[in-house]
Amino acid sequence: MYRYDSFDQKFVDERVVHYRAQTERYLAGELPEDEFLQLRLRNGLYIQRLAPMLRVAVPYGTLDSRQLRALAYIARHYDRGYGHLSTRQNVQFNWPELAEVPDILQDLAAVQMHAIQTSGSCIRNVTTDQFAGVAADESVDPRPYCELIRQWSTSHPEFDWLPRKFKIAVTGAGVDRAAVDVHDIGLVVYRTDDGEIRFDVKVGGGLGRTPVIGKTIRQGLPAHHLLTYLEAILRVYNRYGRRDNKYKARIKILVRAMTADGFRDKVDTEWANLEGSPSTLNDDDLARIEAHFQPPAYKSPPAGAEILGTQRLEEPAFDRWLKHNVAAHKHPGYAIVTLSTKLTGVPPGDVSDVQMDAVAGWADQYGFGEIRISHEQNFVLPDVRLEQLFELWRKAEAAQLGANNVGRIDDIICCPGGDYCSLANAKSIPIAEAIQRKFESFDYQYDLGVLDLNISGCMNACGHHHVGHIGILGVDKKGAEFYQISLGGHAGNGASLGQIIGPSFSREDVPETIETILRVFLDRRLENEPFLDCFRRVGMDPFKERVYANSD
Amino acid sequence: MPTLISHDTITPISQDGWELAEVGAPVNGSRRIVPVDDWRPESGDGLHLPGDAEPEARFSEAPLIAINFANFSDGRGLSLAVLLRTRFNFTGELRAIGDVHPELLYYLRRCGFDSYLLPDGRRAETALSTLAPYTDYYQASVLEPNPAHRRIRRFA
Ligand code: SF4
Repeated sequence: MYRYDSFDQKFVDERVVHYRAQTERYLAGELPEDEFLQLRLRNGLYIQRLAPMLRVAVPYGTLDSRQLRALAYIARHYDRGYGHLSTRQNVQFNWPELAEVPDILQDLAAVQMHAIQTSGSCIRNVTTDQFAGVAADESVDPRPYCELIRQWSTSHPEFDWLPRKFKIAVTGAGVDRAAVDVHDIGLVVYRTDDGEIRFDVKVGGGLGRTPVIGKTIRQGLPAHHLLTYLEAILRVYNRYGRRDNKYKARIKILVRAMTADGFRDKVDTEWANLEGSPSTLNDDDLARIEAHFQPPAYKSPPAGAEILGTQRLEEPAFDRWLKHNVAAHKHPGYAIVTLSTKLTGVPPGDVSDVQMDAVAGWADQYGFGEIRISHEQNFVLPDVRLEQLFELWRKAEAAQLGANNVGRIDDIICCPGGDYCSLANAKSIPIAEAIQRKFESFDYQYDLGVLDLNISGCMNACGHHHVGHIGILGVDKKGAEFYQISLGGHAGNGASLGQIIGPSFSREDVPETIETILRVFLDRRLENEPFLDCFRRVGMDPFKERVYANSD
Repeated sequence: MPTLISHDTITPISQDGWELAEVGAPVNGSRRIVPVDDWRPESGDGLHLPGDAEPEARFSEAPLIAINFANFSDGRGLSLAVLLRTRFNFTGELRAIGDVHPELLYYLRRCGFDSYLLPDGRRAETALSTLAPYTDYYQASVLEPNPAHRRIRRFA
């Protein structure tokens, strides 16, 4: 993974000094609240319903064991002993003291971390495939390009005061695990037949109040031109994006207003002036950044496949865990393990300091010290030897990180909702819990297959409900908490937005309604058909009919 | 009183020599900064542009361009400044006016501004102490057209 050089280190060290001075000016009354707000947001500090919330950047979801131990320390020392894995692969702390944030940043800087641009109207932490660099279905490792984008976008002089937040995601694999269709910019990186690295560029995707699937405005962009092309897009957005209404300020609204073709023309005209400028990457730049992401010293020959066979037979729960939580690795003899945080009764993504320390220890013991965070709010250990899976699974079970539910109905993506967020219409965490309780055993019984269930507490859609195969949205109905259910959303390849099934439901009725939906699915399902495929085949009507059968 | 910071020092307004003219306002002996409709390239007047103005080649003949920031978090003036400096080769004085925030001068500076009119109530000391909070930056800017990795050995 990428290691800071002295340049990076100096930058984050100076960031601590700079932010400390800003905090001091605020506490001394020299900087009014509304002005400090813009500064602290660019450093990931929100003031939430109950307390400040600090969002720490985990660049493209990759961190090492030392960094994770530092996060565990921060959780213990400055917080209430836990942190939260966010849907953008970052880590959030819900209870830091505003005055202590500079100290937290200093501790982070000591392990090559920061909170720069994790909120505010600027270019946010770039995200990617949590299996980047190790996935068997990958054509190009996206991490070097993510790192280039990270550096290019950090404290950009021109693009730190955009109309609205700006999110970039990159994927380089056959299966899109980065949801590039629903980002302000989605990049698909691939290798041509003659070995050239190219990008397809999508713009204007996004969730929130106006969910949109991104439009491809450039195909086959050579890697050398990545940063200048991004510069052209950002300049067009910075100049023409709406600033009069925050709900119409995202780039998707601009792309829609200009049309994708109009937007592309504008970007191309701008880029004509930037092509070949000093920000163009040369072969040497690319080779040196790629050198940071060389594969670790994998051991051969591969072993372990036979042992696994026996272990699976003996332990059905381990067998399920292998099926759901373990993904194919590029290198023979290794596997990618997802450690689920989705334990019934625990808010999705919440992890204790003890769990963070444990995961760091496993990363060292069973891998090469590296950990990933997925946008589904789980931990990933990218390099586990097959013969060690069983031992790791036992330990994960004991640490409450062994749930075998990745991609299943109880692996719920859920925003903090009404328990923490001041914008919420309704609580989301108790809904997640109720669904987990009801369907954990249901899934065992019926083997529902891959099913993304996403919950947001309001139309800002932090829980990505639009792209859940089943999406749940908290709505306010005359002051009471209600929930709207949508079906058929999807975030990966062939992304789609969910369709609302009908009138919303009270909190008590949600689990039962989900059960009705699942019963329809089980009735209509072809053998082993995933929920999404089934829904796309049979359409909304059978679901709608049964769900509202007893209402007048 | 607004404070003028020019070339990284506080400059008394009385010594500035420029006056922002409303349309038809008296001139008071200073050189005027006028809106684009009143401005002609040969006039010697400074040019006053809103942040969302479209830059034009003829603007490069102005001795001074003042870009207005409608509010301090409105970044359009930054892109306008970059375009004037890099695309239209404007070499005169580039001044930030309007809701200019002292904490943000380091962005403005890197986009090619060289003077800043801080509105009443904004602290000039803060502005001066935070003109360059970082020794160096990753990416290219008007001040430094080469990104860091092009200037120094990096990623190694
Ligand atoms: S979706 Fe709404 S309730 Fe949930 S975290 Fe986002 S803003 Fe808060």
